[in-house]
Formats: sequence, C-alpha cells, structure tokens
Amino acid sequence: MALNRKSAVIGSALFLPDRCKDKSLEEALYEIAQEAIRDAGLTMDEVDGIVVGSNDQFDGRAISVMMASGSVGGVDRDILSTPSSGEHAFVLGVLRVASGQFETQLVISWSLTEASSLSEAQRLGADPYFHRRLPLDEGSAFALQASVIGAAWPQAHDLATPILIKNRGNGAKAYPGAAGAKVDRQSVDSSRPKRWPLREAMLPPPAAGIVALVIASDAHIEERGIKNPAWIRGMGWATETGFLGDRDLKSAPALDAAAERAYEEAGITDPRKALDLVELTDATPYQELLVYDRLGLSSPDKWQSDVNGGSFSADGGLPVNLSGGVAAYNPVFCTGLMRIAEAANQIRGKAGAHQKNGAKLALAHAASGFAMQYQTVLVFGAERGE
Amino acid sequence: MELLKRKEDWKITYTHALGEVASWFYVQLRDNAKIYGRRCAKSGRVLVPPRAFSDQTLEPTTDWVEVGPGGKIEAFTIVYEPFENLPEPPYAFGYVQLDGADTAIGGFFKGVDLKDPHKAAEILKVGTRVTAKFADKRVGDVLDFWFELD
Amino acid sequence: MGYPRVGIIGVGQSNFKPKRDDASYPDLVREAVNIALGHSKLEFDDIEAIVYSLAPDAMVGIGNAERLGVDAVGGRSKRFLRINTGGATGISSVAAAYYHVAAGACDVVMTAGADKVGECGDSQTVLNKIWDPTYERQLPLGTITMLAMSAIRYAQKYGLTEEDMARVVVKSRKHAALNPHAHLRKEVTIDDVLASRYISYPIKLMDCCPQSCGGGAMILASEKYIKDNKLDAVWITGVGHCSETYYLGDRMGNDPVADHADSYALNLSFKKAYAMAGVTNPRKEVDVAELYNPFSNTDYHAIEAAGFTGLGKSVPELKEGVYSLGGEVVVNPSGGVLCTNAIAVTGMVRVIELATQLFGMAGERQVKGAKRGIASANGGDHQFFGTMVVEA
Repeated sequence: MALNRKSAVIGSALFLPDRCKDKSLEEALYEIAQEAIRDAGLTMDEVDGIVVGSNDQFDGRAISVMMASGSVGGVDRDILSTPSSGEHAFVLGVLRVASGQFETQLVISWSLTEASSLSEAQRLGADPYFHRRLPLDEGSAFALQASVIGAAWPQAHDLATPILIKNRGNGAKAYPGAAGAKVDRQSVDSSRPKRWPLREAMLPPPAAGIVALVIASDAHIEERGIKNPAWIRGMGWATETGFLGDRDLKSAPALDAAAERAYEEAGITDPRKALDLVELTDATPYQELLVYDRLGLSSPDKWQSDVNGGSFSADGGLPVNLSGGVAAYNPVFCTGLMRIAEAANQIRGKAGAHQKNGAKLALAHAASGFAMQYQTVLVFGAERGE
Repeated sequence: MELLKRKEDWKITYTHALGEVASWFYVQLRDNAKIYGRRCAKSGRVLVPPRAFSDQTLEPTTDWVEVGPGGKIEAFTIVYEPFENLPEPPYAFGYVQLDGADTAIGGFFKGVDLKDPHKAAEILKVGTRVTAKFADKRVGDVLDFWFELD
Repeated sequence: MGYPRVGIIGVGQSNFKPKRDDASYPDLVREAVNIALGHSKLEFDDIEAIVYSLAPDAMVGIGNAERLGVDAVGGRSKRFLRINTGGATGISSVAAAYYHVAAGACDVVMTAGADKVGECGDSQTVLNKIWDPTYERQLPLGTITMLAMSAIRYAQKYGLTEEDMARVVVKSRKHAALNPHAHLRKEVTIDDVLASRYISYPIKLMDCCPQSCGGGAMILASEKYIKDNKLDAVWITGVGHCSETYYLGDRMGNDPVADHADSYALNLSFKKAYAMAGVTNPRKEVDVAELYNPFSNTDYHAIEAAGFTGLGKSVPELKEGVYSLGGEVVVNPSGGVLCTNAIAVTGMVRVIELATQLFGMAGERQVKGAKRGIASANGGDHQFFGTMVVEA
C-alpha cells in the first residue's frame, strides 16, 4: 500500500574523512547537520524532527544518540534513533512525514574508526549462546556468503575482480583523496587472500563518515517552490533471521521482499529499463552480483556478459555505483544511508564529479548486519509520481 | 534441570578525538591550572565546560573566558554504595557554577566529613561557596581539579 | 490536519522477575509476543511490520541484539527496525509503530522487546558510559547519582523531604501488590523506606527501581483493519517526543532553559501529545496515568510535567491521596517503574498498562471507568521524553 503522503529528499551533506579532521564527533555532527539544513533551504526552526542511526559498539558510547542530540539540533525537538542501521533512520523519517505529524525530518548517521577494533565490536553481535566463540565478524560473514555464492555460480569468482575495478575506478573519480585509489587486475589478483574467497583488495578498510539528509512533505515542497526534490517513489525494507545457519546465503529473501514493495510503489516492472542508475551496497563484489540478481538487473546466466560488456559501468546502460560504492569508501555503519544520499543527490543534480546527466529515476540499496541481514530499497524520482 | 551460564566481557578500547575546543581547554588546565569557558555570542552565555557551539542557539561559540576558581554548588550527591569500576564509597560529587560561567561543571567535593549523610548534605547544600583546587601533577582531565568549601 | 486513528489491539507483558535463568533473551521476547498475539486473536502472518524495542546493547551484553530477536517476533522477510532512546525506548518504539500505521505503510504492526538487566553485572557501570568521554564520563555518574542531584535541586527549589520521597514508594508498592506483573510487590511503610541504606544521598535503596527481567509486546492496527475485522481496540490519540541538552551542567547555573530540578522537555512533550489529542485540562480529562518514575523523587516531576498540577505542588497533593488508587487522577496504578524496570520495555509497559486499564482488564488495580490515559517515559540522562495519550 502506498504511503498517505508523498515526501522527498531536499537537502544533504556528507562528511568525508579528509574533511573536519581531528574534530570531535559532536563538532563534526554539528557542522554536517547545519550544512544539510542549509542545503535544504531551511532554518533549524523549520526542522520538525530528527532521526539518528548510530551504533553504540562502534562509537564506544552507550545510547550514542544522546551525544548527537544537541549537535544535530535535538534540544527542544523530537528526536528518535534507530541503532539497527543508518538506513532505518531514513525509513522512519519518511514514515514520520507520511504520518502527517511532521513536515520535515533531518536524518543523520555516522561511523567512526575510534574503536581499537571494529571487527571486535562486530563480534559482540554474535550471540553468547552459540556463536560468540567463533571468529564471526562482518568480514568473515561476508566471506562465508561469497563462498556460498561462488559455489552456486562459479563465474562469480571471475567477475569479482572486474566489479571491483569498476567501483574503485568510479570512486577515484567521485571522491579523489577520500576513496581508495583505482585498482587493476594485477593488483587485485596479487593482493593477499584475507578471508577466502575474498582477497585483501576486496575488503575495503573501515573509514570515518557522516551523512545527513533532509526529508520534506509534498506540501512543504510545493509551498517553498523547491525545484529539484528527489521524490521517494518506492520504499521497502525487511530483515532475515539472526543465525547464519538458518539462512541460504545465496538467496536474499529480505531483499526480494524489500524490492517487491519498492518496485510496486514506484510502478516499476522492468527495473533494468526503467532505472537510470543504481547505488547498491557492495561490501564485497559478490554482494554486488547477488544484488544484481535479486533486484532483477541481471541473472547469473547474464552476469558474465553484463559485467564484461560494461552494462553497469559509468558509461554503460545502467551505471551501478557511480560513487564507487562501499568498495571505494567504507564508513561501515552508514554505508547504507550513503547509498540513499548518493541516489537522491543524483536525482537532485547534486552528485558532483560523478553526476549522471538527466537522471530521472534512481535506486538505492542498503544492507546491514552479518551477510546482509537487513535489506532496504529506495526508489527516487525527479517526478512526484501519483 | 541443570541451567548453565556463560561469563563474557567486552574487550574494546576507544580513542575519542576531543576536538580543538576541548583540547585547548585541557592544555590550559594541564599546563597553567586555569579553567576557561566559551562564550556564545548570540546568547552571551559562557559555557563551562567549553563547547564549540551552543546546543541552545546552535551558533558557534566565539571567545575564551577565564572562570573560577571560586564558584557555588548547583547540585551534589553523596554516594554510599560501591559500583563496579567507580570509586570506593563514600564520596561526594556534583556540579559547580564557577564565577564568570553561566553553566555548571562537574567535580568531586573533598574535605567534607561524609559519615553522617544529613550533616554532610547540610554542608554541601545548593548555593554553598567553593573553590576549585588543582592537583600538582595534572594530566589534562576534569579530575585535575576538585572543589573545597571556602 | 486530522490524524489517522491508530488502535491498540493486543498487549502482552511478562511477570517481571529479578532473574530468568530458565529463558534466553529471545525466549523472553517470544513470551510477551505470544501473550499479545493471543490477546489480539491474530497470527504471526497477520503482522506486517515490527518495531523492535531495545535500549543499550550492553545491558543485554549482545551487540545489536535485535538481530537475535528476529525469530522471536516472527520477523523473517518482514519490515523490521529497532529503536533506542535509552529509558524512553519502549514508548519511542510504540510511537515508531504508530508512525508505521499512521503513514499508511501497513495495517498491522507489532512492537516488542525484552530485557535481562540482571545479566549485565552492574547496570550503573554500563550507564556510566552514556556520558560524554570529553567532560562528564570521568565523574562517577550513573542514573542514580544523576537523579539524586535532581532531587537535591527539586528539594531546594520547592521543598521535598526524604519522607515525601518515601511516600511515593509506599504508594507505588501498594499499587504493585495488586499487579501480578510487577517485580517488587511487597508493601512497605514510610519507616521501612527511611530505614533502608543510602545509595546516593538523598536516594535510599527503597527509593530505587529494581533491575528486572521480562518482555513486552503490543500490536497496533489501522482503524479500517479494526473495523473490517470487528476487533476490540483502544486508541492512540496523542504522541509526542521532546529532548533536553545532553550536559547536566547546562541544566543549572544562570537561568537554564531546562532546570535539572524539573522535567522541562517532558512537559513540552506532553503539550504536543495533548494538542494532538485535544486535551486542554489534563487534571479533569485524564483518568489514569502511567508515568516513568525510576526513583521515588521523579514521580513528582512527572506529575507536574503532565500538567496535573503546578511546579512544586505535587508533594502535598500526593500526600492527600490525589494520585493514589481511588484518588482524583490515579498515577501508576501498576506500581510504576519504581516496582518494575526492564529497561528495554519499561516505556512500552507504561502504554501496555494504560491499554489494560482502558480495556477494563486491570483486575485489582483497575481504575474504575477509565476512559482516557496518559503515559510517559524518560531516556538518556533525563534528556529524551516520550509521551502518549490513549483513549477507550
């Protein structure tokens, strides 16, 4: 069912590691929140509410939204937080505007590298009953998933490198300095195996990042005459179960459910044709392949021709990850909200160096947790839609 | 039936960036035994401890103002119960509005006999004048100073 | 504009206890979910989305423990997200669930969670980590000391004795004795409370909430779904949240916007919820209130912030019995947080208790003829405040 009210992204701001260096988290959040609000043409008084996505274990702060409240403007304001993922903050922001109680929402998420080991912080997510004693962090869960995908479709092993080369090339253009450098086949193939089948080059190092977005209702956008909103045309989100052993890691039922809802709301039947670009969560190149399949962009029998034929390259028919994706820049906890911001920015014509001219319909895919437990799909359009 | 338990602990440390404002504040505290606040130009209020921006006005703070060492108690409590990783009780701590500041900063109250809660509470009551005392060896931390009654 | 009506069609809560060695964390969630499903007469398949209620991960000792709860709430391939606003988490989760339905995203949504506060060792150790590492965490702050300082400021501003605080405990325990779900159900006297040892002056052991284990769950639905399926419901008619500054020291000094003596933003939050529900005179229009009161002194702030009386005026009124069962406005007929605190769901239990009252299922603690109730919960360092108006 469609939401009761239309809304769109009207402002955004990104923090990249090369900016605001050595600021405290609060100072950096203050700066980014203010910038996003300015980008939306609002004053703080016009921000009705805030949703924050942050993770206590990554931040080293219990109830980490507490620290954020003042810096993002939460004092005397309605602020909630979704520690499950950064993208969930966006989902809740959209729902709050659609409920009719709010005209605008600021959504903000971040990820730091202040923990002695993010891997150790992730391992705390393994339950103490059966899994804590295993070396189960996100990287190892991604490797397990990659090996299952490779076993089902051996061509995945050959395609992982060209996908990585594509994304790192895009990233080097989009965010020179912040993103990882370009790679070639030789540098990928010669990087050390880190977690089979993943080589070191395929596991992007964690980086710091903050992303803020402003969502507004159709009424607000009309009243202000805002020219370039990124309308939310479809939104789906879903989860899989917690234990990896209960899941088939080469399928993604939660992504299927999320995509089905988003496509239905957006009226998309042939996504490959309808979409102008896709920003997806590619914590590994294998995830990118799986997402091609589940989003209906390319099935395993077409992977080879699509990847090697450049269908998803920057100048291909359907560019995927013009920003470089997670492969190029990995602010771990907010990579999902980054994808949403990138897709929305493309529709707003504000993507910068990697802007695709004339982008009218863009898809953002976010995934979080061990082997993509949480899946979220957003479709943004330049047109408001019905 | 036999019900099992498993003991787990979290072994992660964090290195938090303090930013320019808190760094400057702590360097002054460490090297010169002085406490500074930051003034919010919009409201005129002096924030102690200093923040780079005011969460009320959402404007950046603009200038440094030396405050204290005198001040008055704004809140206190006396702890009689041991808590893991916290000091041995009894101890008294709370918040003091230093002279020249508009907000209060936390610290321990020392030199008060805490055996009788009611007597101690009467001595520490809100509004009581205190002075910040500084440790000889300072590391750049709020525990480099504490408060004693005038 | 008018707001869509969202109904509560099912509620479930554990009988809260100090320990539940017989049940894992997800088992406790499932326990409450089963009760709520039974009450609503729905099946798992009818639930379209889930809002998972979980406060700091460290309290259960599992990072992102909501992932482990997915099966407990029947969440596979469903819409699912988690809320954390500290002590306010439970009521914030109900609000988030409300937004799902009010937004038109789905007809039936469940919110659920559980806590095993007893398993984290010392909750005050975890709770010290809520403070900012730059300026405040070095101090021996915890939620008890934080609210002890609030009591000190309240006493200074309006007058509050340790006997006044004890009176709240006596009232709460008397109510809890009638509530089979409550954790501390033994009645106590003022002398018992005054004789209990000091934890953090002026708060004594019996002025403190317990660390409870148990779960809570609620099912919310759209008005259309409720009518089409001829279900019984009570209705959420007002929802509000509001926050204060993170820094305790900013709630003191010269003319603070929010004084740490009071619950400034709780009052603002109530004003939002009242405006939405059309409540103009809470004292006359509200029959029952479930207000967050983890320590005895906080009952007074909450009563005042709810607009039942003026600042500093609740103390003599509570003594007169205005807020007890049988009184003019019954506050915390469940015994409140003071008698049961499973942090992740404490705010939700406030709303569950209201719904139970409005459905007329509250047994011995029933407020006769209750038609409209209000709930609140506080999170962070007395920083995040969530409120709700529920009507029969």
